Amino acid sequence: MGRRTAIIGTGQTRHCSKREDVNQMELVYEAATAALKDAEMTVKDIDAVVLANMELFEGRALPDMWCGEGAGAFMKHAFKISTGGTSGTSGAISGYYHVASGLFNTAMVVGFEKHSDGNTSAGMALTDPFWDRHIAAAAIGNFALSVSEYMADRGVTEEQSAKVAVKARRNACNNPHAHLQMPDLTVKEVLESPMLAYPVHRLEMCPQSDGACAIIYAGEELAKKKCSRPAWVRAAVTRHDHIYLGEVKNRLSTIRSLKEAARVAYKMVGIKEPLKEFDVAEIYDPLTYAEIAWYEALGFCKDREGGRLIDDGLTRMDGELPVNPSGGVISTNPVGASGTIRVAEGALQIHGKGGKRQVPDVNLVLVTGYGVYCWSDVMILSGRPD
Amino acid sequence: MKKDNQLEELLRIPVHMKLHYRFPAGTHYTRFFREMKDSGKIMGVKCTQCGRVLVPPRPVCGECFVKTGDWVPVGPKGTVKAYTSIYIKFIDGSTGKPRPSPYGSGLIQLDGAFSTINHILEEGDPEKLYIGMRVEAVLKEKREGNIGDILFFKTIT
Repeated sequence: MGRRTAIIGTGQTRHCSKREDVNQMELVYEAATAALKDAEMTVKDIDAVVLANMELFEGRALPDMWCGEGAGAFMKHAFKISTGGTSGTSGAISGYYHVASGLFNTAMVVGFEKHSDGNTSAGMALTDPFWDRHIAAAAIGNFALSVSEYMADRGVTEEQSAKVAVKARRNACNNPHAHLQMPDLTVKEVLESPMLAYPVHRLEMCPQSDGACAIIYAGEELAKKKCSRPAWVRAAVTRHDHIYLGEVKNRLSTIRSLKEAARVAYKMVGIKEPLKEFDVAEIYDPLTYAEIAWYEALGFCKDREGGRLIDDGLTRMDGELPVNPSGGVISTNPVGASGTIRVAEGALQIHGKGGKRQVPDVNLVLVTGYGVYCWSDVMILSGRPD
Repeated sequence: MKKDNQLEELLRIPVHMKLHYRFPAGTHYTRFFREMKDSGKIMGVKCTQCGRVLVPPRPVCGECFVKTGDWVPVGPKGTVKAYTSIYIKFIDGSTGKPRPSPYGSGLIQLDGAFSTINHILEEGDPEKLYIGMRVEAVLKEKREGNIGDILFFKTIT
């Protein structure tokens, strides 16, 4: 581990399907200024800037150049990270490395996406030109394939999947930034929503959102001075699996990258019983089935018990381990920001600034990112530096 | 966010792009596509260390980080390891046009291969698709030397 480093401020836009009132740089600026305000800092206090974005979705290269000014990057150490769905968590981990290394005293990470500006399905079709493009059916098509394997392997049901959607969209009602807020959603409505790719219905999949999210890191001395309850980074681990889906056997059950990242992170912090020891988890759920699969991979329960966890309500706001009080990715998905939002929402719970989505007495938070066919990021945040 | 009347006054600048690319396939993909075009054979390549037969064939095994070795024929028969039926319209990346839906899509393990490939299934009805079903590659008559030379996988018994 490097030097002690904490998140001392977070900021988000209101995420929604279309932000036509701003351009991409203005969207970034909204989140960056909100985080600076939250941390009671000015742009002069920021030493390094990391941007996270899925550049192809907006049809524009060099988002770090076009949008950097909005994050206060002028004449600063600044660059962009792009790793698919994990962009936002990878960016957050990079920001942490900057400060933990001791080379920078502060760093700001801004994840953003403005899906409505571009063509997401064209962006998703721009996969490997030799093998994937001919059959590419975006994230939905390739996730649906994995769902068929997962259902056969672990016996999870359509009803259990729909319950995840209901939990997420209800939680989202407590989050003023969330995109899909559906207080009265039912399991029946989820399963009657249009079929996208068998067996995945529209309400089981993440939306496409416009939005940005910023977090600010500081080294120990400054963090203690500026923040009454800093969110200390206790572990940050990234793992990448193979490049072709066909080499990742039974993706949702196997998920080697997530299991390995979690194993390493848990060891760093001494976590043995994650369901009991974590107070909140903000996990990257691209679709409902993945959330259940991640419960198993993250050791919240044994294999084949993920569905029971959702049946028993153990991951609801009033359960043993509230998962995604924010509503998660299936409620809000500006892709480049989605991972950063997980980290910000985790930090927010430690800062005690969760408002209606605040879980009482939060000390230990698990955050994950998921991207491409099988990339995973895991972070553990804590109210205590060690 | 701004109010509706303010929003109306803001410009939207439409941009249409037509882009052309040319991707060199490298030694291994070239051999794979040329073999399939010329003789109708589907080939994989075996890692000298872990022994996995990789399709797509690559000069280096990602897991062992060593050069791969012998070429071995795989398929054309195989087993469906995962499936879906796609209901929404998607652009066919090779033509730029929407593909008719619903259609079957699967991860197919060609006989003799370790990995699976994602391709189109003749059967598109999710009620009739299952893991373990046997399929066989149907190739184009006039092949061009790309993955589209496999038209789809037909159901066999």
